[in-house]
Order: sequence, then C-alpha cells, then structure tokens
Amino acid sequence: MIRLKYWPLVIKQITRHRVRSVLTILGVAIAMYLFVAIQAMQQGVAQTTEATAADTTLVVYREDRFCPFTSQLPEYYLQQIEAIDGVVSAVPIRVVVNNCRASLDVVTFRGVPRDLFESTIGQNIRFSAGTLGDWQKRSDAALLGETLAARRGLKVGDQFDAAGITVYVAGILESDEPQDQNVAYVHLDFLQQQVDRRLGTVTQFNVKVDDPERLGAVSNEIDELFASAEQPTSTRSEKAFVAQIASDMIELIGFTRYLGWGCLVAVLALVGNAIVLSVQDRIKEHAVLQTLGYPSALIGRLIVTEAAVLGLLGGLLGASAAMLTIRLTHLSFSVDGLSIPIEAGPVLLALGMALSIALGVAAGLVPAVQAARRPIASCFRAV
Amino acid sequence: MAMIECRQLSKTYRKGASIIKPLDSLDLDVEQGSFLALMGPSGSGKTTLLNLIAGIDQPTSGSLTIAGQNIAALSRSKLASWRAKHVGYVFQLYNLVPVLTAYENVELPMLLHPLSRKQRHERVGTALSLVGLADRHDHYPRQLSGGQEQRVAIARAIVTDPQIIVADEPTGDLDKPSAHAVMSLLVRLNQELGKTLIMVTHDAATAEHAGLTLHLDKGQLVEQSVTAAFSGETATTHADEGGDA
Repeated sequence: MIRLKYWPLVIKQITRHRVRSVLTILGVAIAMYLFVAIQAMQQGVAQTTEATAADTTLVVYREDRFCPFTSQLPEYYLQQIEAIDGVVSAVPIRVVVNNCRASLDVVTFRGVPRDLFESTIGQNIRFSAGTLGDWQKRSDAALLGETLAARRGLKVGDQFDAAGITVYVAGILESDEPQDQNVAYVHLDFLQQQVDRRLGTVTQFNVKVDDPERLGAVSNEIDELFASAEQPTSTRSEKAFVAQIASDMIELIGFTRYLGWGCLVAVLALVGNAIVLSVQDRIKEHAVLQTLGYPSALIGRLIVTEAAVLGLLGGLLGASAAMLTIRLTHLSFSVDGLSIPIEAGPVLLALGMALSIALGVAAGLVPAVQAARRPIASCFRAV
Repeated sequence: MAMIECRQLSKTYRKGASIIKPLDSLDLDVEQGSFLALMGPSGSGKTTLLNLIAGIDQPTSGSLTIAGQNIAALSRSKLASWRAKHVGYVFQLYNLVPVLTAYENVELPMLLHPLSRKQRHERVGTALSLVGLADRHDHYPRQLSGGQEQRVAIARAIVTDPQIIVADEPTGDLDKPSAHAVMSLLVRLNQELGKTLIMVTHDAATAEHAGLTLHLDKGQLVEQSVTAAFSGETATTHADEGGDA
C-alpha cells in the first residue's frame, strides 16, 4: 500500500489524537468481538447440520418424538437393523440429559454397550487421558468429551454427578465429531438401571452405512421395517436429525447473522468517523505535503493506510479476545442432548482481521479521495 | 532564455455569483539566480502569481514556462513530481507538521526521492546546519520559536536542492530580529547558492533585500524598482519592452 519509509508518518498521525484513536480501536474491537463470536456460533451450526458427501451415519429415533426423555425404543431392534443390507454397524444409545431445555451448560450421558463401543463410537475418537480398558473395568465409568471435561474442570479419577447420576471419570476423549465433544459415554446397562430401573429400552440407534449414497435407501428400509411395530421409528442422517431437533435454536442462531452484519457496519462507521475528523483537522497539512511534491495518490494512500491500521488493531484486539473467550469457556449450545459447538479457529481469526482491514480501507476511501482531489491553493484559502 | 517565462498569464475563479480575476494577462521573465520581490495591496494577485510559479495552482489561460517546461500544461501528478524536483516553498506561517520533529519535517520532501536512509540523513543534516539548527533536530515545532520554525521551513524548502525558492511573506509573522535572520538566510541562498528566489511581501524594508521589486495591482504589473545594490538585476516585463508600463 505504501512504502516502508512512509510508515512513521502514518503511525505519528494515528498517535496524534491518542484518545480518539484508542476509542476508535476499542469500538472496532468490541464490534469484531461480537462478529467473531457470532461467526463461531454460525460455524458450529454449519458443522453440525450441513451434510457432506462423506456422511454415513443415520440416527434411528422414535417416530414423532423430539426429546430423549420421550423417545423410547426396544433394544432388541438392534439385531434387525444390523441385518439390513448396507448397514456396517449399529449401536443402541440411551441418552439422559440434566437439562432438556436449551442451555450453554448441559451434561449429556450416552449409554453405550460395553462391547460395541470400540467398534462403533471408538472409531472416531482419540484418548487424551485414560484408556478404554479403564472404562471397561468399572460399571460407573465415564468417558468425557474434551469440551465437557474442560468446561467442568474434570480429569481422570474425578467423580461427578449430573441428572442424579454419579460417575467416575475413566478417560477424556478428543473427537472431530461435535456430538462426541460434549458428552459423557457410560455403560448402557448402568444408565438404564440408573434412570429406568430396568434394562431393554434405548433412546436411539446410531447406524453406520457402507455408502453415503445409500443413506436414504437404508433409512427408508429401517422405518418400513418398524412401521407397524408398537414403537415405530423415524430415521434420518445424523446432521438432518440435529437440524430438526435443534431447529428452534438453529433459527435463533441464524438470526444472529444480522447482528454480525450490524457489527461490520459499526466498524465501517467508527473508522470512517475517525478518519473524516482526522482529515478535516489536516486539510492544510495535506496541502503542505502536496506543495512539497507529494502526489494526490500518495496522500490518499497515507489516509487509507491510517484507516486500515485502525481497523487492523481493533480487529486483532476484538477477534483475539473473542477467540480467547471461546477457548477458555468451552461453551456450546445444547438442546435435547444435542450439542452445537461454539468454535473459533485461526481461520476465523484471520477472517476477522481481514474484514477489519478491508472495512478500514473502505472507510478511509471517501475521505482519502476527497483529500487527494482538493486543490492545494483552495486548502490554504479555506483554513 | 529566461528561467521563468510568463506569457499572457491569467487566473480566474468563481466566488459565488461573481468571477474573480486575480491575475490578468501577465507577461514576465525572470532570469536564473534572480531575487524578486512581489508587492502590492491585498487581492493584487501577488500570491496567485507565486502559487502559479510554484506549481500549486494552474493558470486559466496563458503559458508559464520554467526551465524550458510549460508547467501550465502538466497533469496534476506530473506537476507534483515537478514541484518535488524544482521548487522549495516557504510559507508565512511556516506550516511545519506539528507531530514531526525538525529533522522529520525537513526529511519530508526527501522521502519522495530515491535516496537511502543514510543519504537522506546527510542531506537533512546539511540543510539544518545551513539554517543554524543542527542542534535542534529532535525538537518539535512547539519547542521552537517562530524564527526557528521558519528556519526549519527554509531547510525543508532547500533540502532537495531546488532551482527555485518561493516565499510567501516569510517574515510576516516574525519579530524584527527573527525577520532579519530569516532574510539574511534567504539572501545567502540567493547569493551564495545561486537559487532563484521569488518572495511576496508587504514590507518595503524586506523587499529591499531583493534585487528587483515588482508591484502588482488588480492582477497586472504596475511598477518595478531595482534595488541600488543590485544594479545588474535580471527580471523584465514585456510591458517594459513595449514601453507602455
């Protein structure tokens, strides 16, 4: 944009009105903090609900039920589901949550058969602490998703209780699947006894299909199989399932994108206002620079660079603070036992900063062009 | 060939409903190395003429040739480049950038030239030494007296070694001792370094430092006077040649 030798000029102009510059940077930072936080929520929704070509998981739920407390299916459906052509594996899961409403701090217990864990869910996870053996040894053992463990400050060997169930932490899991990051995996029979006082009832079946293109066909076959049973099923891809169950929450999060755009407009207005004031203060100075031989284009670029620096500093501050907050709090939206993570990575940080710079440049353009086009002699007359 | 040639030079601009003509068909030749003072009442066109010669304003009609270049025909960007190479401007109110030190102010025009930091440093040092302010290089304008500020402004005007220095009432805002010091400096630049110097002033005593004083009124040259000490002065008006001044 400008050569290195002109940078001291830009820096001196920014620090010239320290209070004004600091307030502008803070304003931009607050707006970008909100923008990044909103984008992190939007990303979480996209990650959990947008289907990809590689998706091969189906969720079998009780028909016309949308809450883990009301979806009850016989565990013996498992054998019939496993027998369907195209099904690679199926796992019955009992889901219990400590809070069925939308919340930022929900503990979701997922009861899974001890012998099926490794061949099904175990395929997608890595242990950051503890081992599968530790989990298998104790009936009250739980494997915690890393987000849940971090949010609750739990480590291997701890005990904790939620929803009236006390478990022993046998391991901490890492996973790329959003639904694995915020759960406590326990033994199915343990959870059934704790909640139902009897065995044989599960909330859902997670079914792995051999070919993503066969998801529709297999789901239809499952639902047809149990259509006339006492507990009919409704089978969807895992992401479609999340999208339906958490639709209210997703709609709400979707609305926040307008707030995000509002934040960007705020950045534009803040930087624009600061630069307009700054340029108005320096009409004569710019005329002096032009008298010395500074071309109009260079004057314009100096002003745009000032605006871009204000945007960059505010963006860096706001986006970094948002990332730090998200990383430290490990919050995620949960509804009906499903988790929508709030995630901010380096890409989002870079996006926030790039947008701040771009908005700074945009905000500086008009005053820069005006300053560059003003006839020199009239500037001296005007002041 | 004269260093500066003005032919039928006119400047017109609109102010509300009325049209102002601060310069009206002016013809003027200025030889290289001259020291010319422009005098006249307010609105006589002296500052307009100075601005046209400095290339910070453009004539409405006529030609203005400086060192063989018709600057009236230059585009805005080429005119900026021309100014950077050929003209140093000294303002009445110094117009230093307040957030820059004396050194940085003098360095400003040097940034436009393809010089290394070391070369810039040497040139700025030389210019500040010439105006006697080498020891004030790190002072901000607010830490300098008016006379010192004007000397820094002169250093800024000469640091690129321009052929022409224009000064718009350079002593107009100074007390007598400071004004004397500034004028001595300008005379040195003219006499020792051979700079062509054109100065606007209201003060007859200040104009005495120049070799030739041109009096303007209503955009036209009405009188010229040669200072005794500069009998060989070298500006002519075409009115003189035509004998109808």
